[in-house]
Amino acid sequence: MKDNFSLFGYEIAEKIKTAEVTKSEVFSWFKQRVEKLDKPLNSFVSLFDSADISEQKSLFSGLPIAIKDNICIKGKKITCASKILSNHIAAYDATVISRLKTAGLAIIGTTNMDEFAFGSSTENSCYGLTKNPWNINCVAGGSSGGSTAAVAARLVPFALGSDTGGSIRQPASFCGVVGFKPTYGRVSRFGLVAFGSSLDQIGPITTNFIDSANLLNIICGFDPFDSTSVKTIDEDFTDSLIEDCKNIKIGVPKEYFQEGLSPVCREAISAVIETFKAKGAIIVDISLPYTSYAVATYYIVASSEASSNLQRFDGVKYGARCEASTVEDMYSLTRGNNFGSEAKRRIFLGTYSLSSGYYDAYYVRALKVRRLIKNDFDKAFREVDVILTPTAPSTAFRVGEKISDPLSMYLSDVYTISANLAGLPAVSFPCGFDKDNLPIGAQLIGKEFDEKSLIRLGYSYQQNTDFHKKIPKLFGAKV
Amino acid sequence: MSDFETVIGLEVHVQLKTDSKIFCSCSTAFENPPNSNICPICCGYPGVLPVFNKKALELAVRVSLALDCAINEYIYFERKNYFYPDLPKNYQISQYKQPLAENGFIELINGSKIGVERVHLEEDAGKLIHAATASLVDYNRTGIPLLEIVSRPDIRSALEAVEYLTSLKQILQYIGASDCDMEKGSLRCDANISLREKGDKNLGTKVEIKNMNSFKGIRDALLFEEKRQKKSILEGKKILQETRLWDVDNSKTIVMRSKEEAHDYRYFPEPDLLDFAVTEDLINLERSGLPELPKDKKERFIKQYCLADGDIKVLLSALWLADFFEEAVANFNQPKQIFNWLTGPFLEQVNGLDGGFKTVGLCPAKFAKIVEYFCSDKLNNLAAKKVLAKAIVSNRDIDEIIAEEGLAQMSDSDDLTEFIHLVIEEFPKPVEEYILGKETTIQFLVGQVMKRTKGKANPKIVKSLLIDALSKLK
Repeated sequence: MKDNFSLFGYEIAEKIKTAEVTKSEVFSWFKQRVEKLDKPLNSFVSLFDSADISEQKSLFSGLPIAIKDNICIKGKKITCASKILSNHIAAYDATVISRLKTAGLAIIGTTNMDEFAFGSSTENSCYGLTKNPWNINCVAGGSSGGSTAAVAARLVPFALGSDTGGSIRQPASFCGVVGFKPTYGRVSRFGLVAFGSSLDQIGPITTNFIDSANLLNIICGFDPFDSTSVKTIDEDFTDSLIEDCKNIKIGVPKEYFQEGLSPVCREAISAVIETFKAKGAIIVDISLPYTSYAVATYYIVASSEASSNLQRFDGVKYGARCEASTVEDMYSLTRGNNFGSEAKRRIFLGTYSLSSGYYDAYYVRALKVRRLIKNDFDKAFREVDVILTPTAPSTAFRVGEKISDPLSMYLSDVYTISANLAGLPAVSFPCGFDKDNLPIGAQLIGKEFDEKSLIRLGYSYQQNTDFHKKIPKLFGAKV
Repeated sequence: MSDFETVIGLEVHVQLKTDSKIFCSCSTAFENPPNSNICPICCGYPGVLPVFNKKALELAVRVSLALDCAINEYIYFERKNYFYPDLPKNYQISQYKQPLAENGFIELINGSKIGVERVHLEEDAGKLIHAATASLVDYNRTGIPLLEIVSRPDIRSALEAVEYLTSLKQILQYIGASDCDMEKGSLRCDANISLREKGDKNLGTKVEIKNMNSFKGIRDALLFEEKRQKKSILEGKKILQETRLWDVDNSKTIVMRSKEEAHDYRYFPEPDLLDFAVTEDLINLERSGLPELPKDKKERFIKQYCLADGDIKVLLSALWLADFFEEAVANFNQPKQIFNWLTGPFLEQVNGLDGGFKTVGLCPAKFAKIVEYFCSDKLNNLAAKKVLAKAIVSNRDIDEIIAEEGLAQMSDSDDLTEFIHLVIEEFPKPVEEYILGKETTIQFLVGQVMKRTKGKANPKIVKSLLIDALSKLK
């Protein structure tokens, strides 16, 4: 079993298929990597001793996968990196987990995150922050930082994350991996602990688009347990693994290249444009005029929903409880002592936005702007097939740099939020490194339910570049 | 001001009669032990999502049609946010801005129409049980579909309020939408009451009353509150807008919270459920499946059976009673006789049964036969009641019971003549008295014959046979 960690998921699958390695060898090998290498990263919350691997003959059967700690795995701890759920055991499998199990994937453990997915750096975790495998003085991004760091360090071939405003794509960009947020309604949210219910979507975090397409095949599909999941024709996303960009119209919105974007990211995206051009794509300059309102809109919509979603954590039924003589005191103590400060900030923000007297000025207005942002995209997609942007304004920032400045932290999601507000599929993939060898991410946004175009372009890009093959130095050795 | 008008509006919650809960597949059964009809969804576990039970929508549409409401084409759910231990998610999925249906009415017996402002769907909360050292929560009730039916402030007295509720309950039971059992909590009612000077178009300051657990409680609470408010106004005090609780033990209302303490529910559209259309097809299907409503049934009964208003009111008080009556009349077309026997001896028997009407086995056809036998002198009153008692649960063959118990009335003069002569021989003194002119003595002699025939004889025939026989002795 030499250097298996440097193999892509589909390559390991091939070795299992040809009986070169066994499923249990693969599992224990990755488990060892986590045990030996995760200490400086802190990307895992729980590591499982074993996984029940069904005798499925599916392509990815036996491959280990890590799960963000906000997706329910029956019988395992689910904490959302919050003290308020520190000892909660999931009573059921999320629909995506059932689907993974049915396909024979080996769930290896749960990964760190910002508490309840509130954050862009994975610093807001009751388990401590997750560091960036490329430079442990930098953040992994967030909120799915545990999943992206683990995949970047090749502690696991791939992982699941959740994305409400960029929580898969921004950390994917910071860690140099592929982070895919499907169309809203593509993947069941049943079993995903809700943050912003109208925005949340589960997606795969991988090193390459072949693995992304295969995982999407497993996790996508209508679920009767999620009323917002959409009935679509079964698609095989691997059909789009074609190296061909000919005549695909790629829109480049000017609003994503203005003040705030670091020069190195701008240059990297220009290089991506050249690569696509060279492969026959047509580049079109476009405008998405309401872009500048996205962050404000998002923080009202997402926080409003979150404030309501988090009300269930009250000490009555499960999770932490601080005893008190009245139920009101019990609520206050339990929630006051066990929610972190960012969670409290979002609860305040959301509660305020929904309060009578403010509701119309904030929540209702935010919904109207959300509609306008969606209209921007509808209009743009009459002209182009996909939209290309940077994923984040910069590469990974340093640990602690933004934690006391929420607004600058919120702005690190400025390019990813719109896709959630509009419900569109979007993916971040590595497209270069800055002078400190920190990865840079590019983002493709597609039409509703057109994940296929994203896969096709991403695959074509990776056939012509090597960024996705790079492994952080600290993790480039076998154990 | 001296002459007051009372203004009342009622907010009724009824549990809809679905097999499963409104947003999950848990059972809605009432008797199960605490926390046995629960799942992660209705207990608000992390990560769960609601899925709307379409059966609840069907029943809600049926109710809306029965109350003559206009049904909105598109509806959606909203979250009503407040913290309470019986509410697992600390928000209730309800409807706010756009209810399922609006602008209906219920017509009272006195002819006045009480407006129904809105009808909306929501989920029920759990039940708190306060034990000595702790408070416990039973989540069995959590997520049972509820329909909130809000009246307009058109009710003018406590009596009218009870009449409105009685009619509403009757309609809901008729159409099979709810059991409306206040004891089991499947019907709950809060009231808003205010006073104003007669003729005044503006509404006075309203007080909300909660915690009334029976129709009597509602009537008493409203009467109390009417008096309390009147006294306050006459004393020059201002009525405070507040929520009060009915304290049944002390027969008074007490303050629960003032207007300032009212919740801000932070309603917003439920993002976990999509907007949905109430289709014409569904409405038409429910409309065509709507059974005859109490007001229509009343009119038909008046025409078809020529019964008095009072009689009809009794029959319509329960659907099963009206149905039983109609089927019995179909078998023996004597509505008045059927009515008398049904609301008399029959109900007496039913009330004596532990399970009430549910345990009645007797079918209307056999019941009709008993009444028919009585009318054709085949059974006398006493015997008919005996047969009824024997058949009420068992539904046994009527003729078989009569034969087995030897209850057939003796109307044949030959059979009876023997008993007549025996009695005349045995009681020479009364016979003599009768002959001498004391005619009332005949009753004693009839009684003796009845005794000897074990009550089977037809007393009318016995009497005439006795008179004949005695006249020959004169």
